[in-house]
Amino acid sequence: MTIELFDVQVTHEGRTLVDVPRLTLRPGRAVTIVGESGSGKSLLAHALMGSLPHALHATGEIHLGPDRSSLTDTRARRKLWGRRLALLPQEPVLALDPTMRVHHQVAEGHPRFLHGRRGRAEALELAGTRLAGLGLGGTEQAYPHTLSGGMAQRVAFAAATIGGAEVLIADEPSKGLDTGSRDALARLLTRHVDQGGSLLTITHDLDLARAVGGTLLVMRQAGIVEQGPTEQVLARPAHTWTQRLLAAQPRRWTPPWRDTTPDPAAGTTLITGSGLRKAYGARPLFSGLDLEIAAGERLSLTGPSGCGKTTLGGILLRLVPPDAGEVRHHPGLAEGRVQKLYQDPSVAFAPRVPIRTGLRDVVRRHRADPARVHLLLERLGLDPALLDRRPGEVSGGELQRLAIIRAMLVEPRVLFADEPTSRLDLLTQEETVGCLMDQVVEHGAALVLVTHDLDLAAAVADRQVSLDGIHDAEPAESERTG
Amino acid sequence: MSVPAPQRITTAAPDGNPDGNPAGTPATPPAPRWGTPGRAVRARTARLLAGALLTALVAFALLGPLVWHQYSGQDLSQFLQPPSPAEPLGHDHLGRSVIARLAHATRLSLALAVLCVATAALAGTALGLLAAWRRGWLDQLLLGISEVFLALPALLIVLIFAALASGELWTIYLGIALAQWVEYFRVVRARSVSVLTSPAVEAAGLLRLGPVHVLRRHLWPELAPVLLTMATLGMATAVLAMSTLSYVGVGLTPPTAELGLLITEALPYYHEAPWMVLAPVAVLLLLLVGLLGLRSQEVRR
Repeated sequence: MTIELFDVQVTHEGRTLVDVPRLTLRPGRAVTIVGESGSGKSLLAHALMGSLPHALHATGEIHLGPDRSSLTDTRARRKLWGRRLALLPQEPVLALDPTMRVHHQVAEGHPRFLHGRRGRAEALELAGTRLAGLGLGGTEQAYPHTLSGGMAQRVAFAAATIGGAEVLIADEPSKGLDTGSRDALARLLTRHVDQGGSLLTITHDLDLARAVGGTLLVMRQAGIVEQGPTEQVLARPAHTWTQRLLAAQPRRWTPPWRDTTPDPAAGTTLITGSGLRKAYGARPLFSGLDLEIAAGERLSLTGPSGCGKTTLGGILLRLVPPDAGEVRHHPGLAEGRVQKLYQDPSVAFAPRVPIRTGLRDVVRRHRADPARVHLLLERLGLDPALLDRRPGEVSGGELQRLAIIRAMLVEPRVLFADEPTSRLDLLTQEETVGCLMDQVVEHGAALVLVTHDLDLAAAVADRQVSLDGIHDAEPAESERTG
Repeated sequence: MSVPAPQRITTAAPDGNPDGNPAGTPATPPAPRWGTPGRAVRARTARLLAGALLTALVAFALLGPLVWHQYSGQDLSQFLQPPSPAEPLGHDHLGRSVIARLAHATRLSLALAVLCVATAALAGTALGLLAAWRRGWLDQLLLGISEVFLALPALLIVLIFAALASGELWTIYLGIALAQWVEYFRVVRARSVSVLTSPAVEAAGLLRLGPVHVLRRHLWPELAPVLLTMATLGMATAVLAMSTLSYVGVGLTPPTAELGLLITEALPYYHEAPWMVLAPVAVLLLLLVGLLGLRSQEVRR
């Protein structure tokens, strides 16, 4: 079934959020839309599905094979959900029902699940086969929270496709996945296309786009600025915007902070961890680990998700007690001279308090100069009006920069950054890391960067510690996160 | 108070590019919420109505006793006099002014309810915060005590206290407060534990911001709406508990004007003077509607 969309416009209170004259999905072909956050790419997918929030208004026409209807008629498409149109949700860990076993959750999407005992048995059997086919045999009775991000993504894939929908829409499917899980996901999506399905992927992950292939559309400010075969667009981008997007990948960076690398031998050791061991239940994360962090050095902790990077960071910051071993801090680290940036900055601020109030508390407590807040806002390119908003009303990239400002007010000697940009799109990541490194260089602080992105680690850190080989659990086991 | 710079720059902020958004969209401070405006309007109207109702009742409770101050003076010649302009609710079987008794009863109910809820909320919140902050054996001990109270029906606790010294006001007060502190304790403790273990509080710890900051910026904003909701509900429960006890005859004793007592006293004369029963019932009903109307708004916030 070929799907064609004509003159798609999505508006909210008179503002145009999506304006795409034409979009075609053909059987056996993949279409990928890339763009920054806020470019309208997710809304386009939801307009196609007919699942836009009520306040948004979509106009245009949709041709589903021989059927023609208006985009405003969402009821017609609702009947096709699961059978012909399926959506692979963002953040499957949140999209799966936490109270339902995996097996039932997948079977529920089968068209005959509600058709008596026979249909139900049939659906459960198919769900089992599908799960086994995705390498998830043995997890039928598991609850979603016991699965890793990659496994949850595959369960969501099984649940979305069991209804036999030939059109699959994947909305930011690789968000929060490490490289291994992302490649596995790309293989699944490609397989769907090879079996004659059509695929629309919305992503800001250029590596995923490259792996899926097909046609690439580049979206910016509600419109499409460039389209063509993925290989060609990524190799020879015609539009300046696409070129900028490609240049924002960490492996293409030309980091100015490289020239200012301090001499590691000169720095005193600030944090010493010796003989560290930590296990979650029966599963060891690491043992006998020795690690030193010297003043001014830039260290990265890498490894797949669930390998204990964040836990190790918590131990080094003395927020989490190790099972064995000890962590010593240099006396100069007292009074808040160790700071941390979080993967999701919105959870690191008091949620109901304007950001200004939170920063003012920091300024008062540490007797910092209040003017520094504005100096830093200017340096990091932020509008001072942002201070009057609450954390939930600021975009992720801006909030992470505000978190950097908050940390820098204390003049830290060690800054621990836990996946600070893994939820941001490429351009915002480049901007945020730029701001972070500016501040780190300026203050001569040591940086510990936790990331699963090896390119980012290589661009930022002088020394890399990989947690991959430290624990010796089996691969299947290591996919489960705590 | 050293925050000079922020205000100045905020007012000077142009509405060009507030969120660094390359789309250059006009400044709309809060991110767009895709909600229906109709519901918000209706909720606000409901809250306004409930607030007006409560204000009227409070005014009646405060000013009524000043206007009709004779609530216990008997005059048998006025036996079951029907309502008149001077006495809007007439006289009861002992010739006492019904409106005066009603005003005094409303004042008593409201005052006692406020007192009970304030005591229960203060004690419950303080203990809940203590348990969440200290954890360990203290937490376990307080949890155990609260479970004992939970196992007993609330009205039974009040009854036990009321039976200690029949008809004394302080026993009713103590009983209701003791029955109610548990829910404040448990809700505050549960919420505080999740707030205190959140990354936001961890970050505040790394910034060495201290317990006052955590209390003011993290715990209080999270707890205040819930506590308000619980307090309005608790007021309603307290008013009901008190009148229930008087109605069945274990609460306050006759000469006192109390809503439950008024109903009991008037019941035998229902056919001759229905307004005598209906007036306290109406006050009780309006009081509950007003309190619950406020509450539903708090939940949605």
